[in-house]
Parts: sequence; structure tokens; C-alpha cells
Amino acid sequence: MKCIICERESHTGKYCRLHKKACENIVRSYEQWRKALEVSWKEYLSQIANNPLTGEWTKEVVQHLLKSGEQAIVKDY
Amino acid sequence: MHNYTLVLAEKPDAAQRIALALDKKEKPRKLSENGVPYYVAKRNGKEIVVVPALGHLYTIAAEQKGRNYYPVISFKWVPRYVADRNAARTRSWLQTISTLANKAGAFVDACDFDVEGCVIGYCILKYACGAKEHESKRMKFSTLTKQELEKAYAEPLPQLDFGLIEAGLTRHEIDWLCGINLSRALTIATRKWSRKYVTLSTGRVQGPTLKFLVAREEAIRSFVPTPYWKIRAQVEMDGRVLEARYVNERIENKKEAEIIANSCKDKKGQIEKIAIREFKQPPPFPFDLSTLQSEAYSLFSFTPRRTLNLAQQLYLDALISYPRTDSQRLPSTINYATILKNLGKTEEYCKLTSELLLKQILKPNEGYKEDLAHPAIYPTGNLPRRVLEPSKRKVWDLVVRRFLAVFSEPAAKQNMKVYVKINDHRFHFSGRRILAQGWIRYYEPYVRFDEVLLPLTEKGRIVSVKKILLEEVFKEPPPRYNPSSLLKDMEEARIGTKATRADIMQTLYDRRYIEGERITVTSLGFEVFDVLEKHCPQVVSTALTRELEEKMDRIRENKEKREDVLTNVIGMLHQSLAAFKEEEQVVGEQLNDALERSKLEERIIGTCPLCKTGKLLINYSRKTGKRFVGCTSYFKGLCKTCFPLPQRGTVRSTGKNCPECGWPTVEVCMKRHPWILCFNGECPSKAGKERS
Repeated sequence: MKCIICERESHTGKYCRLHKKACENIVRSYEQWRKALEVSWKEYLSQIANNPLTGEWTKEVVQHLLKSGEQAIVKDY
Repeated sequence: MHNYTLVLAEKPDAAQRIALALDKKEKPRKLSENGVPYYVAKRNGKEIVVVPALGHLYTIAAEQKGRNYYPVISFKWVPRYVADRNAARTRSWLQTISTLANKAGAFVDACDFDVEGCVIGYCILKYACGAKEHESKRMKFSTLTKQELEKAYAEPLPQLDFGLIEAGLTRHEIDWLCGINLSRALTIATRKWSRKYVTLSTGRVQGPTLKFLVAREEAIRSFVPTPYWKIRAQVEMDGRVLEARYVNERIENKKEAEIIANSCKDKKGQIEKIAIREFKQPPPFPFDLSTLQSEAYSLFSFTPRRTLNLAQQLYLDALISYPRTDSQRLPSTINYATILKNLGKTEEYCKLTSELLLKQILKPNEGYKEDLAHPAIYPTGNLPRRVLEPSKRKVWDLVVRRFLAVFSEPAAKQNMKVYVKINDHRFHFSGRRILAQGWIRYYEPYVRFDEVLLPLTEKGRIVSVKKILLEEVFKEPPPRYNPSSLLKDMEEARIGTKATRADIMQTLYDRRYIEGERITVTSLGFEVFDVLEKHCPQVVSTALTRELEEKMDRIRENKEKREDVLTNVIGMLHQSLAAFKEEEQVVGEQLNDALERSKLEERIIGTCPLCKTGKLLINYSRKTGKRFVGCTSYFKGLCKTCFPLPQRGTVRSTGKNCPECGWPTVEVCMKRHPWILCFNGECPSKAGKERS
């Protein structure tokens, strides 16, 4: 199976190892954002998508999540 | 000319220095055979012939011919010209040494006293001089000064350091076995898939180094910034506005931060506490190689490799001691006072050295690191006979000033922290100053200390608060490695040796696994690492490298046998390579994809400034063959952005945007003259430059 973002080999789901790691970070960091700013999942994604400090792979996953409208709990990455 | 003593030096410059020092009149005869220089010196009525090597004249090669198979297990030591096409020059070198060895009555190994030097001397004595390795004596020196060389010749070690030689040979053999087998496995897998030849390499040290870089790159690229808030108060005291920070440096909730900031607005502050701390900062330690490389990188932006080359040249000029050292210690036998006196002959250091020489006891502030073979890097006291080129001069001056600093007094400093209470919230501002300069004066201009002086104040004083600033900040990703920080981490993890670390880093650049001064791992680097971690996890683990280093230390101390260590490594390689061979096709495909991606990455200049979704790419027209820059969204029918490019010279992405307009830029290089090109026709930097 190929990663839906970069077409690297994916053995565990729709993301390759690298994008999976980024996705895990996105999910993990949401809790901190929610506590800090009380933002919704979508607002959170838009904010990190426009942040210059956000990592390249994180941005790619965020774009994908925004496009597909996936919910906060991403179990199947 | 016969029955002379044959002295083997590691390099031609060193041979000349040794001959000059050993000749009674300091005028040795320079002769040459087959273009190989050697020197004849006379001492106490006896003849000494000093002949140089060219670094390693022998290397390891596979016993079986051919390059298309692995595992390669059987090997032998051969002259370098046999294994390396580019080393044809070493043939005449070895012939000359053999000829000179035939007529020699005694042998002295005067190669550098470290692992590499020991192996160089041993191989020449064994293979080129007719098994004279057990007859030869060993000169041990750390500087190429006349005094030390004369002493090393008069009182040589009775035999070679065979423990060090065994350790050196083992290191070479293990590195060769790991390097050749894993590199061949990667290269063959790629070629079988694509039928194209691409050199991919890895090795015992390269693998773990790449692992460091990949881990950092992953942390950066998958980073999610999280917000926090900082509160600062502008406090006015004696007509000066000082910025005080809220004691809790990170407030992780916006509402909480706003409540604190609002409650401090338009309130007076009161000085609650003044904390003064005075302390003494001891002088720095003498330079070992990695500290010198780090310091030269941060001060002059010299890469570790460049610093090592410059230090090596200074050593060959007898201006500094042997640079490949791990030691931070300076034994008194180097004679501190004489070195200081000699350095004091220059106007530049005269005042500083005379002050140090007034001390009753000269005692350096030594570090904890030790090297059995050499002391820390120090100036020999010799002064340059001609003007040094600027970069060499910088390194020499740095070594001299560091040497002066280690003998001086600690610096006395004072830190002051003033706590201000504003409506029950605590803020503080800090000041710092130097009370006594101590070693700082000797190490200037290579030490920076910005003093922050605070106005005099007392507890209970009421101060006015001009402004409260609430700032939203984001946690930053870890910094990228640069050559200096990577070197530091390699050293901490005991990966590689002081002599090889800089070269390993260069190999990673040459193979295009990494790029840039702030190091970025390429797609190819990621894939190679992925493949290695999956199929040969031991090779990329720092544990294996560290374990081998420990084993080599034990071989050196005669506590472990070389054969046992080699057998273990061969067993590990057999296992890994068998698993690798089974997956060769999958690996080949993975690496080829990565190579393609890597090539594409090199052509990408940056994000398209017009559509902001595509990437600008260097393309070639199918019709005319001419190159141009186009947007990748063109193929989706979304963007038609394109720009012409100069058709001559090389074009590559700078990775930076134009400082004036923010558009991506490229570097065009024509006849060795590079210039930066911005595509934006309306860029302010181009105003007034249009052709009439």
C-alpha cells in the first residue's frame, strides 16, 4: 500500500512512517492547543497550516485532513 | 651511501622538518629518485636518510576480483596503487623506499604517533622494507620543533607500539568489511532494478551519523508548534526603561495570561528583593581537536574539515603541536615558560606573556580529557617565518590566545536579579557585569560578554510601570545540525575518531544524503537510512559502534584478540546481508524511487509565488531543449507561470527567497562567476537596472 500523500510504502495504514509520525504529533498537540486557546479541531488545523514553524510533513498531513474533513480522533493512520 | 639509518616520515613536509632538525649543520642534502624526495642528514658522523610516505601507502583489497558480488569476506593488504586507480603515484614512492631500505642498517619509524601513523609506519616496514617491523625503533613527538625531534631521535622507543598497531589494523579491516559489503549491497540492488550505475555507500560510522541526522530531520519536519504566552513589564527607574519578565516564563493558557496582564496594567511596582551573586569563572581548558573545530566554526565559520587541514599545516610548519588529539592536558615537560618567552618576541603577545611570566608558578587549567599519545594543542613558541595566509593566521592566533588564557586567573563576574511586585505578581530583570577580567583579557577577541548594568536601587522602592506587554509565542522545533554541532554529538556518542569524523560528514554530503550548512537530509538520505534500519539495524545503531570502539581499546591493551573481533563482525555481516539479498528487489525499487525524488528535489526552486500551491521547477523544453522555470500546477491546468533561464552555465536553487520581494531565487554560475537571479520582473532590487 502507498502513502496517500507521498506515495512512499505504507505498511500500517494510509500514511507512510514519516507522515504517520506527523499525524500522531498533530493529534497529540491538539490537546495543548485546546487548553491554551479553546479552539475547535478545524480552527486548530488552519492555525498550524499557516504557522511558519510547522514542519513540512505536518503541513502536508494538515492539508489532507482539511481537504478530507476528517475528525479529531484519527485512529486509522 | 650504505648502512645508514632510515627514518620514515608520514608526509614530505614532516620529512623535511625531521631532516633539518637531525642534521648537525641544519643543511640536509635533498635528493630525489623517481620524483620521490628524500633527505640525507649527518649526525655524530653517521648518515641518516629521511624518506617520506604519502599518508597510507598500503590499503585493504578483496582477494577475489570483481565488483558485482557480496558478501566480501577474504581480504589482504596491498599497495595502494593496486586497489586505487588514482593512487598511481604511490608505486614510485614504494619503489624508492624499498631501494633505500635495502642499503639501510637501522630503521626508525617517525610517523605521527597515533593510530593512523602507527599503521602507516608498520605497513611500510613490513611490506616495503622486508619485514623490518620488529627491528625498527619508534620516534615519539608531538611537535616538529628541533628540540623535540632531536630528543625523540636520541631517546626512541625500543620498538613499535604493537597494541596500537593491532587496534589500528582492526579498525581498518572492520571499516573496510562493513563499508564494502553494505555499499555493494545498496549499489547492486539499485543497479539491478534500474540497470543504471549509481554509487551508494554506507559504513560503520556513516550509518550511525546518518541516524542522528535523520532523527533530527524527522523531529523538525513533523513538528507541531504549540502556543504559550510571555508577559513583560516596562519599568521606569532613574530615567531608564527596563524590561522585567514575569517569573513564570511560559503561560500555557491565553485567558490566564490576559488576566495577569490586565491586573498589572496602570499599577505601580515595588522592588521586592535584590539578589546578587558573585562567582568566579575559571579559564577555558586547552584545545583538543573537537573543541578547536567547534570554536573555529562559531568564530570564523570554518568547517571542521577546514580547521583540521589548517591545523595540520600549522603543525607541519612547526607552529603548533600535533592537532589530532583528544587531550585537554598540558604536561609541564613542554616547558611553558620557554614557549611564553618565545611568543613574547612578537609585539602582539609581548604584554600578555610578560604578565604571565611574572607568576611564580605557571599552572594551566586542564580539562578531564586525556590522550595517551599527545598533549592538548599548544603553540610551539616558534614564530611564523613569513606572513601566514589569513585563515591559517586566525587558527594560529586562536591557539596562541587559548594557550595564554589557560594560565591566567579566573574571571570574577556578578549577576544581579531584581524582583518587582506589581499587584501581587512577580516580575524580574537581570543585570551582569565583570568584576575582574582575568583570563578574558588574554582570550580577547574570542570571548564575548555583554555587560548589562542596572541602576542602583533598594528594597521597597516604588517604581512606575510604563507598559505591560503580552506576547504570543510558539514553541520552536529543534535546531538543525550544523557541522560543528554534529561533530560534538558524534564525539559524545563515541562515533568515529577525531581524525575521521570530518571526512565522514563530507562523504554524506558527497553522496547527496545531506545538504546545506544547516544540514537537511535529502529523500535519498531518508531511504538509505530506512533500508539500512530495516535490513541491517546493527549497522546504524550507535551501540555497535561504541561496542567496537571499546573492543579496539581492549585490543590496544592486549586484553582482546583482533581475530575474535573480526569473526564477530563477519558473523553479523553474513546474517544481515543474507536478509538483505532476499529483499534485494524491493530495496532496489525503494532506492530508485528515492533517487528519482532526489533528482526532482534538486530541480525545485521553491513555492510558486503566483498560484501559491505549485512548485517552481527547472524544466527543459521538449521542442527546443532550452531550459526554463515552470510551475508544477501547469500540468493540472491551474497555473501558467514560467520564466526564462540563462542557457549557459549551471543553475541551482539557493533555497532562499529574495530579500526584497520574497520570490524564490536561483544561483547561476558562469565561468566561475556565480550570481543570484530573482525571477520577479517587478522586484524592487531591479529598479533602475533595466536595459535602455
